[in-house]
Amino acid sequence: MSSSVSVAAEWDLLSDRFYRRITIYSPLPWSSPATTTASSSGGGSGAGRLDLSTHIVAAAPFGGPIAAVRDDSKIVQLHSEPSRRRLLLFSSSGHPLASSPWTPHLPRLHSLAFSSSLNLLALLSDGSLLRFRLPDLKPIPSSSPVPLLPPTSGGVADAVFWGGGVAILTEDNRVVVTADIEVDDPHPRELADPGVGEDEQVLCMAVVEPQFVMSGSPEVLLAVGDRVVAVDEDGVQVLGEALEIGPVQKMAVSPNGKLLAAFAHDGRLLVIPTDFSRIIFEYECDSALPPDQIAWCGLDSVLLYWPEVLLMVGPNGDPVQYNYDEPIMLIPECDGVRILSNSSMEFLHRVPDCTTSIFGIGSMSPAALLYDARDHYDKQSAKAYDNYQLISSSLPEAIEACIDAAGYEFDVSRQHALLNAATYGIPFCSQFPQGRIQEMCKMLRVLNAVRDPEIGMPLTIQQYKLLTATVLVGRLINANQHLLALRISEYLNLNPEVVIMHWACEKIAASTAIPDIVLLEGLLDKLRLCKGISYAAVAAHADNSGRRKLAAMLVDHESQSSKQIPLLLSIDEQDKALQKSIESGDTDLVYLVLFHIWQKVAVEKNAPLDFFGIINARPLARDLFMTYARHSKHEALKDFFLSTGRLQDAAFLLLKESRELERNPVASKGSLHVPQVRLIDQAYRLFAETKEHLFESKSAEEHAKLLRVQHNLEVSTKQAIFVGSSVSDTIKTCIAMGNERAAAKVKSEFKVPDKRWYWLKACALATVGNWDALEAFSKEKRPPGGYKPFVEACIDAGQKTEAVKYILKLTNSAEKSEAYERLGMHEEAKAAALQADNNGDELFSRLKFTLGQNALIDTLRDRFSSQGTY
Amino acid sequence: MAQIPNLDNSPLNLTALREQSQKDLLNIVKSIRGKKCLVIDPKLAGTLSLILQTSVLKEYGAELRILSADLLQTECPKVVYLVRSQPNYMKFVANQIKSDEPKGLQREYFLYFVPRRIVACEKILEEEKVHQKLTIGEYPLYLVPLDEDVLSFELDYSLQECLIEGDTSSVWHVAKAIHKLEFAFGVIPNIRAKGVASSKAAELLNNMQLEDPVNMDNMGMPEIDTLILLDREVDMVTPMCSQLTYEGLLDEMLEIHNGTVEVDSSIMGGQQDGKKVKVPLNSSDKLYKEIRDLNLHVVVQVVRQKATSIQQDYAEVKSTNTQSVSELKDFVKRLHSLPEIARHVNLAQHLQSFAAKPSFHARVEIEQIILEVENYETCFEYIEDIIQKQEPIETVLRLLVLFSLTNAGLPKKNFDYLRREILHSYGFEHMSLLYNLEKAGLVKKQESRSNWVGISRALQLIVDLKDPEKPDDISYIFSGYAPLSIRLVQHAVRSGWRSTEELLKLLPGPHLDLKRGVSSISFSSELLTGSVGQQSTDRVGHRSLVLVVFIGGVTSAEIAALRFLSAQEGMGYDFLVATTKVITGNTLLRSIIASSKEGMI
Repeated sequence: MSSSVSVAAEWDLLSDRFYRRITIYSPLPWSSPATTTASSSGGGSGAGRLDLSTHIVAAAPFGGPIAAVRDDSKIVQLHSEPSRRRLLLFSSSGHPLASSPWTPHLPRLHSLAFSSSLNLLALLSDGSLLRFRLPDLKPIPSSSPVPLLPPTSGGVADAVFWGGGVAILTEDNRVVVTADIEVDDPHPRELADPGVGEDEQVLCMAVVEPQFVMSGSPEVLLAVGDRVVAVDEDGVQVLGEALEIGPVQKMAVSPNGKLLAAFAHDGRLLVIPTDFSRIIFEYECDSALPPDQIAWCGLDSVLLYWPEVLLMVGPNGDPVQYNYDEPIMLIPECDGVRILSNSSMEFLHRVPDCTTSIFGIGSMSPAALLYDARDHYDKQSAKAYDNYQLISSSLPEAIEACIDAAGYEFDVSRQHALLNAATYGIPFCSQFPQGRIQEMCKMLRVLNAVRDPEIGMPLTIQQYKLLTATVLVGRLINANQHLLALRISEYLNLNPEVVIMHWACEKIAASTAIPDIVLLEGLLDKLRLCKGISYAAVAAHADNSGRRKLAAMLVDHESQSSKQIPLLLSIDEQDKALQKSIESGDTDLVYLVLFHIWQKVAVEKNAPLDFFGIINARPLARDLFMTYARHSKHEALKDFFLSTGRLQDAAFLLLKESRELERNPVASKGSLHVPQVRLIDQAYRLFAETKEHLFESKSAEEHAKLLRVQHNLEVSTKQAIFVGSSVSDTIKTCIAMGNERAAAKVKSEFKVPDKRWYWLKACALATVGNWDALEAFSKEKRPPGGYKPFVEACIDAGQKTEAVKYILKLTNSAEKSEAYERLGMHEEAKAAALQADNNGDELFSRLKFTLGQNALIDTLRDRFSSQGTY
Repeated sequence: MAQIPNLDNSPLNLTALREQSQKDLLNIVKSIRGKKCLVIDPKLAGTLSLILQTSVLKEYGAELRILSADLLQTECPKVVYLVRSQPNYMKFVANQIKSDEPKGLQREYFLYFVPRRIVACEKILEEEKVHQKLTIGEYPLYLVPLDEDVLSFELDYSLQECLIEGDTSSVWHVAKAIHKLEFAFGVIPNIRAKGVASSKAAELLNNMQLEDPVNMDNMGMPEIDTLILLDREVDMVTPMCSQLTYEGLLDEMLEIHNGTVEVDSSIMGGQQDGKKVKVPLNSSDKLYKEIRDLNLHVVVQVVRQKATSIQQDYAEVKSTNTQSVSELKDFVKRLHSLPEIARHVNLAQHLQSFAAKPSFHARVEIEQIILEVENYETCFEYIEDIIQKQEPIETVLRLLVLFSLTNAGLPKKNFDYLRREILHSYGFEHMSLLYNLEKAGLVKKQESRSNWVGISRALQLIVDLKDPEKPDDISYIFSGYAPLSIRLVQHAVRSGWRSTEELLKLLPGPHLDLKRGVSSISFSSELLTGSVGQQSTDRVGHRSLVLVVFIGGVTSAEIAALRFLSAQEGMGYDFLVATTKVITGNTLLRSIIASSKEGMI
């Protein structure tokens, strides 16, 4: 077990738990001048050297980047550095990523921090905020700082950042919290007045992040004099008076928001719940001087840093002390602390139980034995089998532990060793879930890839699980590591769309000198990798970057018309947009284009004609325009018809308008017909002009004539009952009123055929019950269409005896039979049917059939009517 | 019996489809907290009654109103409009919102477009300056099950839009709805389309599959084997004929709306108080399912048989005391069908009062003569007569359209004469109607020889009826005329379009035969080639499903014919019908008449 011993030798015991410091990156490129020049590509001159003691530094959690600006409050000996300050950005592995000049004449920089979506935040001493986008450090939304404090506050005394916001203590001892620090226009809110006395001083502050507070808004803890107060929007609460802690010099809230580590003025380190209900443990330090930094290492220990000494205090036992001869910075993570120094990046965390069980000195756990067995197996020693026999019953746990332990290792060879041990066990353990080891291998491959110094994201497995693969891919993209992001996406079966999309946009932004055609080919090559990717989105980006031609070429490849067409419009490709919308068959898209063109055209001279020209060539667009315009754009529609030679349509539109006049009750009765007739006359002339619409023009002419006749009738009869009725109805009305002459006049003026005249007159006379006149009419001459009009008029009026008179005069037996039938005279009907010539039989049987059924249904109906339901 | 049909016997899981629509609607109502006034457009309100009980909406604090030109009377602080995307409704919405302002009412307004938001509608809201006051959403209701085998796109104006206005919005809607079906039931491997709109819809459906593909990986076999798309324009003859089936007559005489007819309560055996009652009509009523597609006189016989047999049983129960309990139970069970029998006795009786009239028979007879293209003069005079008598204009036009279609138009002299008689009898405001009918080719001047006789012979449209009670061909539906549309469907399922290409060229619009995607289902190509149909049933274990889509509407009689076909022995497939609307000749013409008169087309 020699190999195991060497592993555990690096561990430190804190009470009953082991801790280990893993050196992740060392030396850091910025520490030696030789490498500085080699990697100067990202930063230009001056970037690449970083001394923690002379810089204001921020490091993002989850292995994120490091940002620094020289602290001009400190006296610095300039080596080869330029005197102008720069904002520097490094990866966790110390590789310079970017740098940009720090704007001179700004208020003093108070602190730097990263937001959770990895924007860099810089808080200036006057309480204003600058924000920078990664990876290029471009200021967002603009290069002027956003004020977070009211002008009278006196500036920043202290500030605490968390992922989504910042809490600022002002010089006049008020607390201002900004919880939406990522949005363009953040909303700072002042919390309740903490009530700091004139002669009192705020010693330190800490923030319980909003996700740990019931109300959902952050709670700020302030140590004032010998008390600690919790401040939120609604009020101030003095905490833990009963605990008698005394003045607190330094505080830190645990990663789960439940505990507080407080360093008191007398050198005691206290761990208290954030509600200050009790003291969980306390440790008396040698020094009463407050530490420079205080941080939680996971949930089990607290780190205190004084220059040259880093002290790790746990709930029991003696603390562990580490010595540093250079300045360090503690970067708390969810499962440990990263320690950044000028020369290295380390990770300090509690050794996981599975690792302890394998590598712990003298461990005889199944996992340790399995690991050992693999060692023996590799040495072809029979002891391997002995070990196996010892642990055969607990083999699954042993394998599990080896796999888990592999996950916690940064060292690739040790990962190998542990996974090898696991694979040695698996053949003996058929029930062990197959996917487990593959899953771990997958995760480790991803982790090892991003931990590579070139990438520099030293994620632990726990951090990775918390961060999720999608966010990791997002971070890689934002660091312009597109290839790795793509590989990881593919490897993990994630949709590569985000990666390729981002790449394409960056590519366009970075390729200002490349001609459109060449760039297009390059882009298409990659975009093709991803089915269903939105070409329109890339095209929109190209357009925004001022490359309209490229945008036009890209949008051609978009398959979804609903995305393609709006973009075509925004890049002024109207004709194409119209064409594509018509092809899509989606009328809504056609309308979208039509409205767009119409609106553009509305501001130009001569425009409607252009518009009409465009749509007239395309039937669907034309028809849709017509449909829409019929609702609300009459004038435009008329113009369209006239300018495109559709005279008959214009004429119909005029007829429609004339009918609307008729319906409009506001117009006065007397003169109503005049404008109406004028419109119809206009329509008539338009119809006449077309030559193909002779019938319509004649009809319009007649219509106008009818209106005049009707108007005259209304004047002479003093009854407003004519206008709006048909020629036939006008005749009927005249006859019903007893005005034969007028009726006859209408008949002759409108050349009403005799046949119709007989129908109309018979019906009108029967309606008013003028049977004598009806009879006289029947005897005038032999009716041109026979006596049917008389029979029907009488039957409809319910006059049986009158009807029979005329039935007798019918010549067709079938008609006779039917007429009798309608009067309910079944016998006569039957007789007439028998007389009927060749088709008599059929008719008779049909009648019999219907009669029989009627009777049947009646009886059935009676039977069921009592049920009353249906 | 409920208006919402039971869909358990559907060949496709339509229940899931309907539940989704229910859920979507309830989610909208739930997402708006508190009391709200739900304002629904009148037509949509009818449609929704096929999806859920409106009382359910009230449970979520919704007060229901029907959208109209009137102002809205409600106390609710939130108003939710649920409106189909039609421009005229936008004006109503705008007016109601604008009227709240001077009253100082501060309300939250929501507008849900059905089935999706439309630029043309939003434009109106912008012009009326109410757009920014509205929170806008969508209720994607593209398709509603009317019954276990009938779906409706609820597009009332599809035919006139496509045929007269050139507005093909409904074609896109149809394609979208079918594509949505494909997401649930798999990509349909075979498509056959005939007609301009249908071919376009098939093409759009293909594009949609490219733009937004249905992922077939985790789906089994596609549940629908074949899609047949037909334009109403291809067969305008059939809807012009009087329907003679029970359901067809109900629709013609009483008009079925959203699966119900409304009749005087006295007709249904209630009090003579002038009150109306709604009678639901769908397959959940077992007797209705049995008789809906039969000729009215056969219906009468069936109902009589049922009634008599119950009566006999009753007499037996009364006279002897020897029945076993199980016999009695059986009898009681049959008694339960009494209300159903009574309902249809009442309705059939009511129909008979129309159908027994000599004028009805005369009309059916004249239709038959027109279909057989005999005796031009008789037909012409008949039409002339009914115009001069001023019978309802749709009655006149129905015959005139039929007459013009079978004769490939009327000689110019007759054409102009009848048009003039119509304008004189019904008013000059019908000028644009005649123009539109001419534009649509429904009533026109004769320019070439009619090929109707040829089509009719080739497809055996006119068949002598042997035994009307035991029909062996769909021609029983119209007592001797087999609907052209359904003959085409018969050909399409039997052998595809190839065998009828020459004939199809005689009918309006292009035709299309598509096979799509997935090689694993290649056998389905032979599945529909006639004799193999039987085998496919055995192989798959269930009958294959054909979705027949009518763009522009379908009549009950045609649906009856499809049901008749799938019930024939040796038929390996079921039909599912989807239509823009269930129409009759009258409803079809009436909307063209109204829109023409208003100058909207």
